[in-house]
Amino acid sequence: MTEHLPALVFLTPLATAISMPVAGHRRPAVCRPIALIAICCMTVLSVASLWSVSVHGEVRYSFSGWLPPIGIEWLADSLAATMVTAVSGLGVLCLLFADGLGERPLGGRAVPYYTMVLLLVAGLSGAIYAGDLFNIFVFLEVVSLSAYALVAVPGGRALVSAFRYLLMGALGTAFYLLGVGYFYAATGALNIADLSQRLPGLLDSKAVMGGLIFMFIGLAIKMALMPLHGWLPDAYSDAPAATVPLLAGLVTKISLLVWARILYWVMAPSAEGGTLTIFALVTTFGILASVAGACLALRQRELKRMFAYGGISHVGLVLIGVGQANETGLAGAMYYLLNDAVMQCSLFVLAGFLALRYGASTLDELARAHVRNPWAIVTFVAVGLGMVGLPPTGGFFGKLRILLGTLEADNNIAAAAVVLTTLITLGYFAQVFEKLVRSGSESASADQTETPWPLRATMAALVAAIVGLGIWNDQIVALLVDATAPLGI
Amino acid sequence: MIDRPSGSVIIRRTASLLVSLVQLFALYVLFFGQYGPGGGFVAGVMIAASLVFGLLVFGEDSATSQRATRLLAADGVGLLLFVAVGGLCLIGGGEFLNYSEAPIPGLDSAARRYLGILMTQIGVAMDVAVAAVSIVFSLSRSVATEETDA
Repeated sequence: MTEHLPALVFLTPLATAISMPVAGHRRPAVCRPIALIAICCMTVLSVASLWSVSVHGEVRYSFSGWLPPIGIEWLADSLAATMVTAVSGLGVLCLLFADGLGERPLGGRAVPYYTMVLLLVAGLSGAIYAGDLFNIFVFLEVVSLSAYALVAVPGGRALVSAFRYLLMGALGTAFYLLGVGYFYAATGALNIADLSQRLPGLLDSKAVMGGLIFMFIGLAIKMALMPLHGWLPDAYSDAPAATVPLLAGLVTKISLLVWARILYWVMAPSAEGGTLTIFALVTTFGILASVAGACLALRQRELKRMFAYGGISHVGLVLIGVGQANETGLAGAMYYLLNDAVMQCSLFVLAGFLALRYGASTLDELARAHVRNPWAIVTFVAVGLGMVGLPPTGGFFGKLRILLGTLEADNNIAAAAVVLTTLITLGYFAQVFEKLVRSGSESASADQTETPWPLRATMAALVAAIVGLGIWNDQIVALLVDATAPLGI
Repeated sequence: MIDRPSGSVIIRRTASLLVSLVQLFALYVLFFGQYGPGGGFVAGVMIAASLVFGLLVFGEDSATSQRATRLLAADGVGLLLFVAVGGLCLIGGGEFLNYSEAPIPGLDSAARRYLGILMTQIGVAMDVAVAAVSIVFSLSRSVATEETDA
């Protein structure tokens, strides 16, 4: 039974998504509970899958019984299992948050909305599990198409942002597909394990190098790497408050994960001792994105835009870890990716909550609003500590491991960039915190309205995740190292 | 524009003949797809093409177009069929879409594979047809709203 878990984890949201039009045909109101139940089931299954992978080792699932490289393979190693658990867990929290936020009801549009949310989650898990480059493309496309539609839900200005996101995103997937085509032309293989065996000896081939660069450009657009990040702040600040945590926490992270898979699972085994020049390129872009993203975040007056640029700078940090070509850096980067998903999710949960409850979407409005809600303040403190990188949050241990990775690779500039980013992040979080605290002291009138339980549950779970990831960091990193150990880097 | 049916006798007679012929050929491609060129995708596109052709010639109020509109309600049913066949294989103990493991009594492995592939292809054909027709419908509606705006 356990060997079927990866397929079941993916099929649960997919099957629910496609039965949504039938289920919600007469009563669109049933869509929300159905979606919540489906993602809860997916979470249970993915936890079971994580447990089974950590006990019995990785699972390679061949669809329809066709063995790879001919058939379609799903690679459920401990990295994939951890990420899918994070995706489904955050999916549940985002739906709960949407429940508690009580935005304008969707009415008849609930059917397509929840179909898209479930397709997004299904696509994310598919992109994590997919064991060949072409299916990664397919699931990236599923994720992106649902994300474009979700950004456009409020209409008006969001339509423009969604269209811009669509143009950039389509360009990104096109570049990625072009790169995959080059790889296929050079090797005749798409399966990751198969490619890694065929690539040694072909590394000087212009087709392979060109393909790798095309894939990097494509994924860089998707992960909003610094010079190609233009679509992200608009898309995130115009999308509905209930949807942004899902997009911010998960969508850009998936491209980072795919890029790490390509670098280490496809390319690195063929380097034979030496490191590839592409790693230096990745590190350079990582340094640029982390420092410049943080500087831009410092300049923002609007909360959502500030958090979006914070996310852009953290993409750079993860890339620095990925670019070090050693196990410490890679495991640290993947661990930080996990943390970043949780932190981005909590940041946009907070931003959505403050905007809807207090009407505070900029720093000045935040200073005028009297935020006395203990749940929001505790969440903000926890996520602030995590983003800046102070113990006991996961953000601290992630940054520490990335820093250790850069020192191990004798890359002092990258190490300096990590420290500098931390300091600038402290700068803009101090700014928000100052406004938040001052807003409380001006007025003694306490917040009269009760925070609904789904909101409290979401915030409590997010804080628990941020701290829990830090406390059990050794165990989680050990899990991730399990996945990277066979690569011999 | 879709809502104006064509007045030409030649076009109407040819179309009524062609629509059913194309649909018949689509069925042939669907059932023969396992042994020759074709399959669910091609069959779905052909069915959609025949429906769109009928829509263009006879207009939105004709019987063919009504049928096409009803088809739109089947959005996702094809994919459900696909997943149901795959899930049946999972219940039988095999991998997802491993047709030979589907628990259908009284059939040998080859017959199960034949039936499994056929059912998934029918699912694919349905979904492709629905998707193609819905693209045409949404285009024609957006044109219609633009004209009323102007």
